[in-house]
Amino acid sequence: VNDSSGAAGRGPEHALMVSGIGGQGVQLMAKTLAQALTRQGRYAMLGAEYGGEMRGGPTQATVVVGDAPLRALPIVPRAQAAILMHDRFSENTLARLEPDALCVANSSVVPDGFAADWSPVTVPATELARELGAPQAGGFVMLGAYCALTGAASHDELSEAMTELLPPYRRQHAKNNARALARGAQYLAESGGDR
Amino acid sequence: MTLELLQGSTAITRAAIAADCRFFAGYPMSPFTPLLESMSREMEEAGGVCINAESEIEGANMALGASAAGFRSATGSCGQGIALMQETIAEAALNETPLVVFNMARNQQDYYQCTRGGGWGDYRTITLAPKDVTEAVEHTQLLFHLADKYRAPVILYGDDLLAKTQVGVDVAPLDLPELPAKDWALDGSASGTGRSRQVWTFAMGKKNDPGPGPDGQWRRVAAKFADIEGIEARHETVHTDDAETIVVAFGSAAKFVEYVVEDLREQGHRVGLFRPITLWPFPGKALREATRGARRVLVFEMNAGQMIDDVRQYADDRDVIEFIGGVSIDESGLAFGPLLDAPVIAERILTAHTRS
Repeated sequence: VNDSSGAAGRGPEHALMVSGIGGQGVQLMAKTLAQALTRQGRYAMLGAEYGGEMRGGPTQATVVVGDAPLRALPIVPRAQAAILMHDRFSENTLARLEPDALCVANSSVVPDGFAADWSPVTVPATELARELGAPQAGGFVMLGAYCALTGAASHDELSEAMTELLPPYRRQHAKNNARALARGAQYLAESGGDR
Repeated sequence: MTLELLQGSTAITRAAIAADCRFFAGYPMSPFTPLLESMSREMEEAGGVCINAESEIEGANMALGASAAGFRSATGSCGQGIALMQETIAEAALNETPLVVFNMARNQQDYYQCTRGGGWGDYRTITLAPKDVTEAVEHTQLLFHLADKYRAPVILYGDDLLAKTQVGVDVAPLDLPELPAKDWALDGSASGTGRSRQVWTFAMGKKNDPGPGPDGQWRRVAAKFADIEGIEARHETVHTDDAETIVVAFGSAAKFVEYVVEDLREQGHRVGLFRPITLWPFPGKALREATRGARRVLVFEMNAGQMIDDVRQYADDRDVIEFIGGVSIDESGLAFGPLLDAPVIAERILTAHTRS
């Protein structure tokens, strides 16, 4: 994981940007990570931007983490990592992504050669989620893969945070979401994080 | 200290409850809506009441009523809804009822509204503008204290970022000085004594217990606000001591400017930030001192130029003031536009700073 140094006297902070279209699970996935990091005792911030639409509109989230009170702005100028659920609405994320940033792309959706400047690690998240019988859980496949790559949070930490965040009327998805997290990590182990 | 990941609106709600707020009423309007939602989720469990009123003015008047009965009470909206509450705010100021108003604003175009007021009469509203969620937790508690201390309406100037950003925070109760008992509150304790109380803008009292009347009351209220002006101004400075260029900014925008100023300092540019924490009273004396010797005073605000009026009143040399803010609204009209971004702000500051 690349770290950016803050201003003098502050610790390093790390920003991950997640983008996609509404309905791909971007917001819940980002919140799961921010929640897991907070429960590790770290300082986390989740900045979220989404249109009025539930599905189909642009959606983006930013997760910043550090070990001291954060200097980061709610709209980060630069990010050290990105999870791209879709090529659509990824422009703002790519514009802020540092040249050596870690980039994980959903290869079920994005075209070949997408974001080639960052040689993305590709994960066919939508397909893998569909195979699990949980097509809505593609975001968690990506998060599972991202955390397996970076060690940001363990499966159990993510799974607990996710379960806690689900509203009562969505609890039935907890099991499949947890399987999706595990599937993403497993895919990464099998593919070796090919770029 | 245990950090909990909370949306700004929830953190403000917890802070209000920690400050003994037990009544909240408002009408939904984005980006205030998440605050009303979290108040409705959490107020009941704290033994309080949260009401989704039928309109903004009703919500504000309900809060005024609860406050007149002695409870710490609040209302809120965004600037558009607070425009509809001005009658209540003016009445609260003139009949001396504490009232906390949360402006979860869509942008920074409500500076005049909160510092000049839109009601009638000689009153002002103490307005705190936190730069982030952590500070909003403190300001919320401080505002309930100030409202009671001065028996006056007070405003928290928030925004969309403050309402929606989630951060790890620890909502710790602030240790604030004790205040006198509310011997003015309409709590029924004087019932049957023939000396029952009034909360009345005209303050005429009763036949057997005359009040100061409008002339006496409104003179007294005006004198009170003059006193507050001398006491409650708050500000923060960052790298202003040797700065050639000082940027004045408030609220979330000041947090962005602070970030940029720190970056520019690392690159060797002598720039600094002056941040009014209270928009009213404006920290004029401190601004005069901080800008003494500065070659440029830049004003960055997300509007067409409102706070700049106060900067012009107080900066040491008004000829060096330059406006670098502007109107910038996102597509929905409900949040900040692209001007609120560190690289854009950095370019505006640097352009002015490096001009000979």
